[in-house]
Amino acid sequence: MSKMENQTEEISPMQDIVFSLATSPNFALDGICFAARQSGLYRSKDGGRTWHSACDQFNSGPLPTTAVIVSPAFETDKSVFAGVAGSMLRSLDGGQTWQVAMLGSPPPQVSTLVISPDFIDDGLLWVGTLEDGVFCSQDRGCRWAAWNFGLLDLNILCMAASPDLARDETLFVGTESGIFRSTNGGRAWREIDLDPELAPVLSMAVSPDYAKDGVLFAGTESCGLMRSSDRGGTWQRVGAETITEAVNAILLSREFHAKPDVLVLLSDTVLISHDGGQSWSRLHSSGWSEYGATCVAAPDGLSPDATLLVGFMGGHIARINER
Amino acid sequence: MQRVVFQPATYQGMQQGINQIVAAVRPTLGPRARLVAIDRIVANKDTGPELLGNGGTIARRIIQLPNRDGDMGAMFLRGMLCELQDQVGDGTATAAVLFQMVFDQGVRHSVSGGNAMRLRNYLERGMCIILEELNGMTLRPKQGKEELAKIAEAICYDPPLSKMLGEIFDIIGEYGRLEVRAGSSRGLEREYVTGSYWESSLLSRYMFTDQARQRAELENVAILISDLDLQDPDDLVFLLTLAKQADIQSLVIMARNVSDRAIGMLLANQKDSQFRVVAVKAPGATVDDASAALGDVSVLAGGRPLVAAAGDTLRRVKLEDLGHARQAWADLSYFGIVAGKGNPRALRAHLATLRAAHRNAEDPDVRRRLQQRLGRLMGGSAILSVGGATETEIAVRQKLAEHTADALRGVVREGLLPGGGAALLACRPAMQRLLDGTIDEDERAAYRILSRALEEPLRTIVTNAGYDAADVMAEIRQVGASGSPNPSAFYGFDVISGQVVDMVRAGILDVASVQKAAVRSAIASAALALTIDVLVHHKKPKLDLTPQ
Repeated sequence: MSKMENQTEEISPMQDIVFSLATSPNFALDGICFAARQSGLYRSKDGGRTWHSACDQFNSGPLPTTAVIVSPAFETDKSVFAGVAGSMLRSLDGGQTWQVAMLGSPPPQVSTLVISPDFIDDGLLWVGTLEDGVFCSQDRGCRWAAWNFGLLDLNILCMAASPDLARDETLFVGTESGIFRSTNGGRAWREIDLDPELAPVLSMAVSPDYAKDGVLFAGTESCGLMRSSDRGGTWQRVGAETITEAVNAILLSREFHAKPDVLVLLSDTVLISHDGGQSWSRLHSSGWSEYGATCVAAPDGLSPDATLLVGFMGGHIARINER
Repeated sequence: MQRVVFQPATYQGMQQGINQIVAAVRPTLGPRARLVAIDRIVANKDTGPELLGNGGTIARRIIQLPNRDGDMGAMFLRGMLCELQDQVGDGTATAAVLFQMVFDQGVRHSVSGGNAMRLRNYLERGMCIILEELNGMTLRPKQGKEELAKIAEAICYDPPLSKMLGEIFDIIGEYGRLEVRAGSSRGLEREYVTGSYWESSLLSRYMFTDQARQRAELENVAILISDLDLQDPDDLVFLLTLAKQADIQSLVIMARNVSDRAIGMLLANQKDSQFRVVAVKAPGATVDDASAALGDVSVLAGGRPLVAAAGDTLRRVKLEDLGHARQAWADLSYFGIVAGKGNPRALRAHLATLRAAHRNAEDPDVRRRLQQRLGRLMGGSAILSVGGATETEIAVRQKLAEHTADALRGVVREGLLPGGGAALLACRPAMQRLLDGTIDEDERAAYRILSRALEEPLRTIVTNAGYDAADVMAEIRQVGASGSPNPSAFYGFDVISGQVVDMVRAGILDVASVQKAAVRSAIASAALALTIDVLVHHKKPKLDLTPQ
C-alpha cells in the first residue's frame, strides 16, 4: 500500500506542470527539496509535505521554471540552480535569494540541468535546451556559453553525466533524434549508434559504477527502456512486455553494482526492477492515470521504505513513503 | 625533331633527376630536420627566399631540371610526391627515400640481367605484405587533447602548435572544419565559431544591423534558399507579403544576384518596422559547389531550395519552402546560420551519405570538398590564426599547421604506427620469410630490395640528426636480438635522447594513414618507373614574344 500526502497548493491546477524535482543530498535530515513548475519555483523544508514559492524577489508574477538542480555539496555551499526562459537562476543561500544569468539570445528554453559530481572543486554545470543545444558554465553558473560542436540535434530532452566525470569527462544527451556523447566534458559531441527509430530519448541514467561496468539506460518515448552495457556501443531493449509507453524518468540505486535496482517513471505508474531491468514490478499507481506523472526524485535511494517524490501534470507533487 | 633515349641512358638519366629531387627532400625527414630555401619566382626585395620544411611542397617548387633525361625522372617522382601530399598531407620525405632506394636497387638488378616487369610484379606483391604487416601494428590513439597534442608534436615538432591543434581536434573531431589563417599577432590564436558558415557576402552595406562590426545578425529567422537572379522588385512583393502574413520578423534572402532596385525595395520595406530582411549571395563558386551549398543549407535549416535551372520563381514560393534558424549572420565575406531548424534525422542521414562519399572518393579535390561540407554541417568550426615575426615565418608555420592538421585527421581515422621508421623496420622479417620461401631470382631480388628499402627512412632520420646510421642500425639489431625484455616492442632510435628505445613506450608514433600511403605510393611508383625503357623528348617550340 502507499499513500499520497499533501498534494501541494494549486495555483492553476489545470495548466500547471511539475517539470523537475531536486532534493538536498542531506534530505533525510534537512528535508529540503525544490520543484520546478510552470507556476514557478517552489521549495519545501519538510520533505515535500508543504511547498512555498522560492522565488518571490522578481515581481513579475509566476516565473515558469523548467528545471532545477541542487549542488552535491548543498550542505556547505547552499547552491541551487533553476532554468527559466532564456536564463538561469542561481542561489547561493539555499533558495532564499536568486541571481540571474542570461543564456543568450534568442532566449533558449531550458529543458534539463546537469551538475558535476565534483561541483565543489570544478564548478561545472550544463544546461540542455529545447532548440539551442547545450550550454556550459565553468564558473558556478555565472556565465554560460553554448557547447554544441558535433551536436547535430539541438533539441535536448535529457542529460546524464558519468559519476566519474572528473576523470572520464563523459556526458550524454538524449534528443529528438537519438543520443550524443561527449568525452571531453561537453566541448564536443559525437553520435551514439542508436537506431533513430527508437528516438526521441526522454530520460537517461548512468550507472554509479559506469567506469567499470559501462552501463547506461535510455528511456524512449515509444520504444520503452533501452540498456547498454558497453558505454552506448550497443543497446538492448529491456522490460519490453511491461514498459510500452513513454519513460519519463529513470533512477538507479546508489549501489547498482551490488544491488542492481532500476526505477522507471511512466505517466501512470512507477516500475521497479531488482535485476538490472530484466524483470519488473509495479511500485505504485493508484489513481495516477488522471494526473500524468512527469518527474521523480528518490532522495533516500530506492530501498522499499525510502521516500519518493513524484511530480505530475496539473502541478501536484506526491510524497510516497510506504510501499 | 624528337630525341629518343634508350637504355642504359634511360635509367642513368632518370636516376640523376630522381637523386636531385630526393637530395632536396631528404633533409626534411625526422625531428632534427632542416629547411630548404627556395628562390622566389617573382623577385621581391622585401621578402627573402621561401623556407620550406615539407617534402611535397619542396618537390612542387622544382619545376624543371636542365638535363632533359634527368628532368623526366625528377618529374615522375615529383608527380608522385605531389599526389601523396594532396592525399594525406605528409609522408613525402619517407616516400622519396623509399622510392629512391627501390629504384636504385631495381636498376642494379635490371642491368645485371633481371627482368624489370617480373621484378615490378614481385615488388607490388611485397608491398601488399608490408601493408598487411603495418595494418597489424596499427594502434588506436587514446582520446583527449593531451594525446592528440603528443601526436601532433611527433608530426610537426612544434610544441605550441601541437598543443593548440590537440585542443582543436579534440573538439572538432575527424570531420570538423578547421581554417588556418595568417594571423596578425606574434603567436598562435584560435577561435571557435558556432554554427555553420559559407563564403558568401551581404549584398548591401545598408543591411548591417551592427555598423561597428560591419555585420548583420538576425534572430528566429526565416531563410529563402535559392540561386535565383532577382532583378524585378515586383518578384519580391509576393515573398514579403507571405512573410508578413506569417508573422515572420526576420528574413534572409539567399540569391545569386539581387538588383539595386530590388535591394532598395527591401530596405524600404523594413523602414519604421520590426521586420528585418537581409539579402546574401548564394554560396559556391562553381555550379556544383552552389548546388551542394543550397542542399546543405536546406538540410540544416529545413525548407526547399528554389533553383533557377529547375524553373523555380519567387512567385511560386510557399511558406513551407522557407528554412528557419535560431540565428543567422552575414558580413562582407561570409554567411552563417546557428541552430538551423531542419530535421535532425535528415541531417544525420545526410552526413552519413557525405561520410560514405568521402570514404569512397579517390580524387583528392573531391575529398577536400566533401571534407569541407562535412565540417560545415557539424555544428561548429575552428579558426587557427598563425602569427610570427615575419611574413616568411608566418607562411612557413601556416603550411606546417595545415599539413599537421591533415595528418591529425588521418590519425583520428586510421590510427598510429610506431614512429621514427620503426614500423617499417619491423616489416623486414616478413620480407625475409618471403625471401626464404622462393628460389626465383627476380622474386628474391624484389624482397631483398624491399628489405633494404625499409631501413632507409630510419637511416635518413638518424643521419639528419647527426648520428652514424650504420652504428645505430647495429645497436637496434643488438637490442632487438638479445636484450629485449619485451618481444613485442618496436625498437628504434630516439634522436632527441640519442638512445635506442621502444618507440611505442617512448610515445614516438607516426600517422598510420600517412605511412601506409607513403609505402604504397613509393613502391608502386618505383616499380613502375623500373619498367620505363625509352624516353622520348619533344622539340621545345621557340617562344617568340615579338608582336606579329
